[in-house]
Amino acid sequence: MLLAVVRLGDGAYGVPIRREIEERTGRKVTVGALYATLDRLEAKGFVSSWFADPTAERGGRSRRYFRVEPAGIESLARARDMFERMWKGVRLA
Amino acid sequence: MLKRLVGGREADVIVGDLREEFEARGGGRLWYWRQVLSCFAVRLSPYRLSAPDLFQDFHLAARIMRRNPGYALTAMVCLGLGIGVNATVFTMVHELFWRNLPVPESDRVVAVTREREQMTCSWRDYLEFERRSGAMFAGLTAYDDVPTSLDAEGSSQIVMGEAVTANFANVLRIPAQAGRWFTPEDDRIGAEPVAVISDGVWTERFGRSPEAIGKRIRIEAQRYRVVGVAPPGFVGVSPPHTAKVWTPFLSQPYVRELLANGGGWERPRVRLFGRLAPGVRVGEAQAGMRVLDEQLQREFPRERASNGALLAAVAAGASMAGVREVAAPIATLLFSVTGVVLLIACVNVANLLLSRSAVRRHEMAVRRALGASWLRLVRQTFCEGLTLASGGAVVGVVLAYWTNRLLASSLPALPHIGTATLQMNVDWRVAGFALCVAALSAVAFSIAPALEQARPDPGVGVQGGSGGSRPRRQRDFYVIAQVALSLTLLIAATLLVRALGRARDIDPGFQMDRRLAARIYISEPEYTPDSGRLFFDRVMERVQAVPGVGSATLSYTVPLNFSDSLCVAAEPNARPRRTGSDTVVPGYFGTLGIPLVRGRQFEAGDREGAPKVAVVNETLAQRFWPGADPIGKTFLAGCDVKKPRELTQVVGVAKDAKYESLDESARPFVYRPLAQNWVGFMAVIVETQGNAGDFVTPLRAALRELDPNLRIYEVQTLREYASESLWKVRWEATLLGSFGALGMLLAAVGLYGVVAYTVAQRTREIGIRIAVGAQPDDVMWMVLGRGLALTGIGVGVGVLLSAGLARLMAGLLYGMSPFDPTSFGLAATAWTAMAMLASWVPARRAMRVDPVVALRWE
Repeated sequence: MLLAVVRLGDGAYGVPIRREIEERTGRKVTVGALYATLDRLEAKGFVSSWFADPTAERGGRSRRYFRVEPAGIESLARARDMFERMWKGVRLA
Repeated sequence: MLKRLVGGREADVIVGDLREEFEARGGGRLWYWRQVLSCFAVRLSPYRLSAPDLFQDFHLAARIMRRNPGYALTAMVCLGLGIGVNATVFTMVHELFWRNLPVPESDRVVAVTREREQMTCSWRDYLEFERRSGAMFAGLTAYDDVPTSLDAEGSSQIVMGEAVTANFANVLRIPAQAGRWFTPEDDRIGAEPVAVISDGVWTERFGRSPEAIGKRIRIEAQRYRVVGVAPPGFVGVSPPHTAKVWTPFLSQPYVRELLANGGGWERPRVRLFGRLAPGVRVGEAQAGMRVLDEQLQREFPRERASNGALLAAVAAGASMAGVREVAAPIATLLFSVTGVVLLIACVNVANLLLSRSAVRRHEMAVRRALGASWLRLVRQTFCEGLTLASGGAVVGVVLAYWTNRLLASSLPALPHIGTATLQMNVDWRVAGFALCVAALSAVAFSIAPALEQARPDPGVGVQGGSGGSRPRRQRDFYVIAQVALSLTLLIAATLLVRALGRARDIDPGFQMDRRLAARIYISEPEYTPDSGRLFFDRVMERVQAVPGVGSATLSYTVPLNFSDSLCVAAEPNARPRRTGSDTVVPGYFGTLGIPLVRGRQFEAGDREGAPKVAVVNETLAQRFWPGADPIGKTFLAGCDVKKPRELTQVVGVAKDAKYESLDESARPFVYRPLAQNWVGFMAVIVETQGNAGDFVTPLRAALRELDPNLRIYEVQTLREYASESLWKVRWEATLLGSFGALGMLLAAVGLYGVVAYTVAQRTREIGIRIAVGAQPDDVMWMVLGRGLALTGIGVGVGVLLSAGLARLMAGLLYGMSPFDPTSFGLAATAWTAMAMLASWVPARRAMRVDPVVALRWE
């Protein structure tokens, strides 16, 4: 999820985030689960969000954009390091 | 919907996202809704509700239960018993008080009643109300419930009937299942009398034949043509009575008479039901009716009596004042009793949890050391409690289903001329009630163990010492409370059972053994008062000729069944007093064995035209003419202001007897001769040789022989009537007795649990004692002593508690003292014996403790 937000950069709002995750993982993600997760990440200070001006193509509804915060970057880096350390020297089959 | 749940802007965003994607995908309604649903699921899931691990707690609770099935089962059964009895009583009370009428949209059907009045208003009021209340009611209907005789297809029965207005079925929206209901043409003075019968009568009397429509039936003196059959399940609007026949209000002879003779504005009186007009609320209807009532009072100030305020409520059992009067004290008693049973069950489970908490000290200490908060530990215990309680609720509902069926079939019937039926069904309300009770009790029994478990004392816990003295003292307290509560129940039950026995020994003042009564009814047009008297003479002759019948007599009332009343004044200007009254024939006092203290009984000479005479009882003689000889004194008899009162001379004084119930105190009573006061509704009372019950069939046959069309109602022994009059105490004794026994059982289990637990905990100590030379007997007494000490304190508290509560029961005890020492003694002894048994089992186990094993324990 965090990676998707990072990858999308300035264009990170609900629809592309979901599409990004679905395309990369091949798993379906529902809107409910998406926002629940994003809310949690926001509560932990990993991401922040703001509301954009309403646009006509969305029937006058605004978008909520997300941006990764330094704490999120740090957490991503930690996760990657840990992953790499654990994979070091492992050979499958 | 989504916006409501998620709120403002965020929902906006989600909806926007969905719309964008929806268009990008080019449709897919199913997909769209799945996404919306997912939002709900996520928002509502317990994970979000600040307790992300609540599910874990329940999961753990379920695992603990699976691992300790004995513990879980015991707790659930205990709770189930407690919840079950409460659900049963709830069903009963619900049935009597809250059940709406079984009609479409019953929540729109409103009973209009009057404060402190049995009947709402007069017929004339109703006509005015009906005309003027169109804004509030789509329809307003009036009725009166009357016990009537119903004779159809050769069999006679006394049933509950309802005299209703023509719009009755329209207002209630109950279509006839065959034929039709009444039309305005039927409900008019002078119309042909027609009737609608209940589904039950249609089945019993007519075998559900369509030919029943058009048949003639007889209600009281009048013949009616059956025009319709009420829908199945409709038993009228006077619960708990089961109405079996409906007639137009204006077809009732008494109504016609009152209206023709100008009974005034106030009579006849009716009860009211209305169906609310669309959009009108009950409170509005009530306010509107009050305004109308005041308006009428202003318009007819002289004709109308000013009465209490009108009330309106959704029509349910509760609207029936009569039911409430009979049932409210019983319901209160039952709910208090079952409440106590539930309390005992809760205490049991709390005890169980407390013992477990001692076992789990270690686990809790570890969890605390790992950083679990106090709240978290408390919550864990509550989750366990809730899990146990929901199991208990399930057990309870299943139990309630069985006990309801048992009760419905085995409870002594309510004393309403055999028309009352309680339908005890377990429905969603009962289940809901059980769940609420379960939740409440879960909180009740979890508090102490939860606090106990979460109590921070890290020093002991992790190393795994044995429980401190605090939980033990708590458990002792619980046991004492249980013993006291259940003893209170037991004492109450014993008091009632003894009162019942005592009531059977009360001298009724007449002979009830070997006496049998048959109720018969003769009326116009077949019989006039003159031919009726002749017929009754033939009845006497014929009945006395039945082999085995000693003497026979006629009486309007049967003692301990019902009684009539009369207004009596000693002087023309004195205020008349109501006294009990009966109409009898010569020989009555002989057949019933009521001794005459002075004067003579009735004779053939006391006939129509001769001076009016009466026999009074001792109490009346003493109250009216204290110290003087009552023989030859006169009084004025009659309540009707329109008819002249009758100057009546006292010719005899009879010994006091019991007239309506065995526990009544002495009351004034007047006997008058049938020859001077015609009644066609009489009981033939015969004195038999041998068992009175054997004469039911011969008596019936003898009466039939005289007139094949004679209407014969119940034929019963006087013993049976007396026993019916005790229904209330029997009812309460049955229920209280069973609940008391249940409470005692639960409390005994609790006591056993505590003593057994102590033994388990003190195994080491006991082992040491035995090792250093204690005898098995000493050990046994040590354990027994503890159980008995707890019981002793509990019994003491229980006796004090009962002494306080027994006074409330004084009215049910037939004059027995509520502090009857025998009852108290019996109950206390029974409890002590039970306690001995409950402590003896663990005591024996303690005796067998092997010191070697014990010392190695832990």
